[in-house]
Amino acid sequence: MSGRLLTLVLLIGLLGSAFTLAPQIGALHLPGNQQGYEPVQPIAFSHRLHAGEMQVACLYCHSGAESSRHAGIPSAGVCMNCHQFVNAPLGALRAEEELAKKEGRKPRRIISPELQKLYDAMALGADLKSDPRKTPTPIAWTKVHNVPDFVYFDHRPHVATGVACQSCHGPVETMDRVAQVQPLTMGWCVNCHRQANLVGVAGKKVNASIDCSRCHY
Amino acid sequence: MGENSPKRYWKSLEELEPGFDAPHDEFPEPLDGPVTQFDRRGFLKAAGFTVAAATLVGCGRAPVEKAIPFLVQPETTVPGRAYFYASTCAACSAGCGLLVKNRDGRPIKLEGCPEHPSSRGGLCAVGQAALLGLYDSLRLRQPLAGGKPSTWEEVDREILAKLTTLRSSGGAVRFLSGTITSPTTRALLERFLKQFPDARHVVYDPLSSSAILDAHEQTHGVRALPRFRFDRAVVIAGFDADFLGTWISPVEFTSGYRAGRALEANPPRLSYHVQFEPRMSLTGTKADRRWRVAPDEIGIALTHLAARVAKLAGAAFSVAGLAASPVPAAFLDELAQRLWEARGRSLVICGSQDIAAQVLANFLNHLLGNYGATVDLERPSYQRQGNDRDLQTLLGELESGRVAALFIAGVNPVYELPGGSKLAYVLKQASLVVSFAERLDEASSLAHYVCPDHHFLESWGDAEATSGTVSLFQPALQPLGKTRAMVESLAAWSGKPQPAYDILREHWQANIFPRQHRERSFEAFWDRSVHDGYAEVEPRREQGKTFRFNAVRPILSSARTSAGAFALVLYPKVGMLDGRHAQNAWLQELPDPVTKVTWDNYACLSPAAAARLGVKEGDVVRLEAGPGNAVLELPVYLQPGQQDGVVAVALGYGRQGTERFTKVAPRWIWARPGVGENSLVGVNAAPLLELAGGCLRYTRSEVRLTKTGATRALAATQKHHSLTVPQNIPLLGGERRDMVRETTWPTFLRNLAEAKHAAPAAQEDLWPADHAFPVHKWGMAVDLNACTGCSACVIACQAENNIPVVGKDEVRRQREMHWMRIDRYYSGSDDLDVVHQPMFCCQCDNAPCETVCPVLATVHSDEGLNQQVYNRCVGTRYCANNCPYKVRRFNWFDYARDDRLQNLALNPDLSVRSRGVMEKCTFCVQRIQEAKIEARRQGKEMADGAIQTACQQSCPAQAILFGDLNDPKSRLSQALRSPRNFRVLAEFNFRPAVGYLTLVRNRAEDQKEKHNG
Repeated sequence: MSGRLLTLVLLIGLLGSAFTLAPQIGALHLPGNQQGYEPVQPIAFSHRLHAGEMQVACLYCHSGAESSRHAGIPSAGVCMNCHQFVNAPLGALRAEEELAKKEGRKPRRIISPELQKLYDAMALGADLKSDPRKTPTPIAWTKVHNVPDFVYFDHRPHVATGVACQSCHGPVETMDRVAQVQPLTMGWCVNCHRQANLVGVAGKKVNASIDCSRCHY
Repeated sequence: MGENSPKRYWKSLEELEPGFDAPHDEFPEPLDGPVTQFDRRGFLKAAGFTVAAATLVGCGRAPVEKAIPFLVQPETTVPGRAYFYASTCAACSAGCGLLVKNRDGRPIKLEGCPEHPSSRGGLCAVGQAALLGLYDSLRLRQPLAGGKPSTWEEVDREILAKLTTLRSSGGAVRFLSGTITSPTTRALLERFLKQFPDARHVVYDPLSSSAILDAHEQTHGVRALPRFRFDRAVVIAGFDADFLGTWISPVEFTSGYRAGRALEANPPRLSYHVQFEPRMSLTGTKADRRWRVAPDEIGIALTHLAARVAKLAGAAFSVAGLAASPVPAAFLDELAQRLWEARGRSLVICGSQDIAAQVLANFLNHLLGNYGATVDLERPSYQRQGNDRDLQTLLGELESGRVAALFIAGVNPVYELPGGSKLAYVLKQASLVVSFAERLDEASSLAHYVCPDHHFLESWGDAEATSGTVSLFQPALQPLGKTRAMVESLAAWSGKPQPAYDILREHWQANIFPRQHRERSFEAFWDRSVHDGYAEVEPRREQGKTFRFNAVRPILSSARTSAGAFALVLYPKVGMLDGRHAQNAWLQELPDPVTKVTWDNYACLSPAAAARLGVKEGDVVRLEAGPGNAVLELPVYLQPGQQDGVVAVALGYGRQGTERFTKVAPRWIWARPGVGENSLVGVNAAPLLELAGGCLRYTRSEVRLTKTGATRALAATQKHHSLTVPQNIPLLGGERRDMVRETTWPTFLRNLAEAKHAAPAAQEDLWPADHAFPVHKWGMAVDLNACTGCSACVIACQAENNIPVVGKDEVRRQREMHWMRIDRYYSGSDDLDVVHQPMFCCQCDNAPCETVCPVLATVHSDEGLNQQVYNRCVGTRYCANNCPYKVRRFNWFDYARDDRLQNLALNPDLSVRSRGVMEKCTFCVQRIQEAKIEARRQGKEMADGAIQTACQQSCPAQAILFGDLNDPKSRLSQALRSPRNFRVLAEFNFRPAVGYLTLVRNRAEDQKEKHNG
């Protein structure tokens, strides 16, 4: 009798957890798989524009990938290398110029609303100089490609070997908002390592370890 | 042990008793838990459903993680990359060189600086643990005025007002500190004290060596501490000086001692070391010959030796009426002869606080021509500058109420000195007491103002520990609180407020820079010194006068302790020293290298003395030192090798602030308190010190012990994780080999000569070699001859590998988490020999743990590592049961990580394991991966020595060597080709990757060994 009761209780528990998950049924994946994750970022930064159209090299902003475990998200200072000069899209600038010509005045400085968020974070005033009345606030980006804490992935050997960024991160240069394309599961990692040992990377023979302690320690 | 074994090794006294049966279970607790109605079927059902539900829940989205980059990234910082800054250790006054490993703006590990001229890459347990002290949430965050938080402006204003009155009234100002090796601080202090008509700086060391300085004043006319050069000594006679453990500068001395015992050198060297001591010290465990001598007989033994050496030297030294020697005369004859033959390369070391005995040691060193060779008085050491006579005067002044203002820096007189309670009363009466203590302690809680100094990792500073080597401190992070460097406080009160950096640079430009000739410009000199962490400059020379023979007096007799009473020896422990790091949980949980007890102090008695008293281990005894003295109640610990008339008690316990450890252990229903009845860890033995005859004395006679009837269980690890071979296991040829091996110097030399000609024996193996190691095969060599048991590696491993502290009660349950332990084996009975054997995962090729894991959480890697995959482990503990070396540790709990400040000390390069997971030594796999990745990034081959494990890095004796066994030219492969190499439990063919190198004792072959060959 008590066995029946136990089964019943457990069954209800199982159904309960299924029920709580029902609303996100479309997003269901195998545990640990975040494929397709595409969070909204605090600033609508477009990789399509920067890496695609403008052809900015990945390593220009994510320079840590060469020298550190983490590729890193660029500091706002790196953005300012260009964006102290570039304040708005070309289209908006042209439109303002035309409007100014029409109204017979000097064109005003146009700042795109997304870039304004960057300037606010840096505590810059309207003249793009440091404004002491504002407080600098770091930008809290949402991580897209995130492996669990017990995985010690390291960018350095991959970059040094010549693995293209896109092999793991997908065609980022075509994305306005970055989404996770690959599953980033252990099976996926190990398959790639096995494949690399068979056919090499970028024409070179490699020794891609599949030891557990390559990533887990 | 087999009949043919020359020696029998044992770890605890129980093993010597007839009928002793080795424990068969690794874990002491009974296996039968509470019986429930839950049957197997029900359990499986519940488990199945739970797994299904957990899987289902896991299918949802992972929690959102934020990544917050810098706004403007500092040029020298790349997130995730470690940087090393050269600095200096200030955990004691030895001044060892440091490399501070910084990750993302905070220090996460302290390592020894390999280039530093005195410490040469080693760093002791206390130095390693100083990192945890940095992240101590009980450190003061702001100045205190009258015990209440205040601001620097307010404190400065009030103190300055009081100082102005003092200047005009002419009241006595006294600055009481420990040894200050910093030239800058000393200069500033001088400037500060000059403002007052009656001001004096009084220095004392809680672990005083004042007698050595006083003796040199008598014999050489300079009050200085010579620098002892163990690296130049081939015959060492130690008289109650624990120079490898706690005495003055253990890392420097260990490194020098090791240099004199380099068996891998060509030709091999092995110094001859004799130790005379009342208790079993760490240094005594390494001695080639060790004699148990009561503390009051040390002087007599010295006189006997001096008489013999004087005779050989043809010097007049009358010893008429000398008491009988505690050591056989024949041995002293032999020792005198050996010392005499090694003139200029011998060393007599005395740790006694009796000036007459120190004078005798000087006399011996003088006769032997050691001054200028192994005893350097010209370029002295400044590691101990205490003057106990000054201290005695100051205490008198304080008592008479003559002192108007007292500044206390770096010491805790209320706790460390005899009569501390009286002193506490006196301090309460004083008109101005200012303390620079980092946290509230016995003395600083009585101070009117507490002006907390930075932790040394937060501050600029310098240290000239030995003449001619000036080390620099550089801050490794922003100060965590509103603390202020002591030099800044002093500068502010001398009317010239300046940041510490400017003070330091100015002093260096004016005083240190002119003492060197290498760099032309100060900027270049400064930059190089900051980079290196030290600068070699012209030494400050002490002009010793010629030896004054008339200062030498023989010690003919001593006040003998009467029958039934004991002589008391108060000693520092390797981790705890004088108690200044008592708030450090790593050091509290560090097993004492000799007794293996954690979290407590105790009364060490020899087994014979305990039998006489009728007490056994854990019985509480009352320790009385006559009327007017404090009475201590301590549990007994049986220490073989101790003189029978001696009771030894460790200092440094019972400190205010150790109440915090009531909460260090996991909280569960059967948890027992981790602190004593006084709610502190241990009992303070300092009230039994004696400040007499101008010296702080650590020994006293006429102490009586009585049994109280109470018991207090000690948390000793010595019987934990014992390597035992069950008697019923059949072995090839029935041979049982010892876990440790030792031989004698003549045998070693013979074997070495033979090994040069012999071809290595081919090994046949029935077990298939089913692991291929295509690129690397990592291995390690541990030199038992070099290892002193100092336990620096244990703490280094703890710091590197995020090993939790479990608390006293859990240690008692054999659940300590240290990945690295040092097994201490005794052998013999009267002349006790000791072997220290560091033991950690041996990464066996035929690993017994791997074959029993049901979930493949422990498997072999392509590089010979026995990998432990935490996220796969389900905690069956089969592997730990099957591990022959007993090196696996199980997380019984989620150990305390709720102090968020303390968590900053965690190494971000490896996981913090959770409850229910097995863990063990990984050969610092995170360091292996880092070195491999860096080599690949730079497109280079991995260099031999590019990887240093944490234990290897910290070892002052270079006893541990890590490397690639696949490379026949690696230092490791060469070391393991030595005839000394053996594997522990080799008869079982586990094929461990760790080779041990036999201990060699410098003594004649004994008969048995010859027989065994």
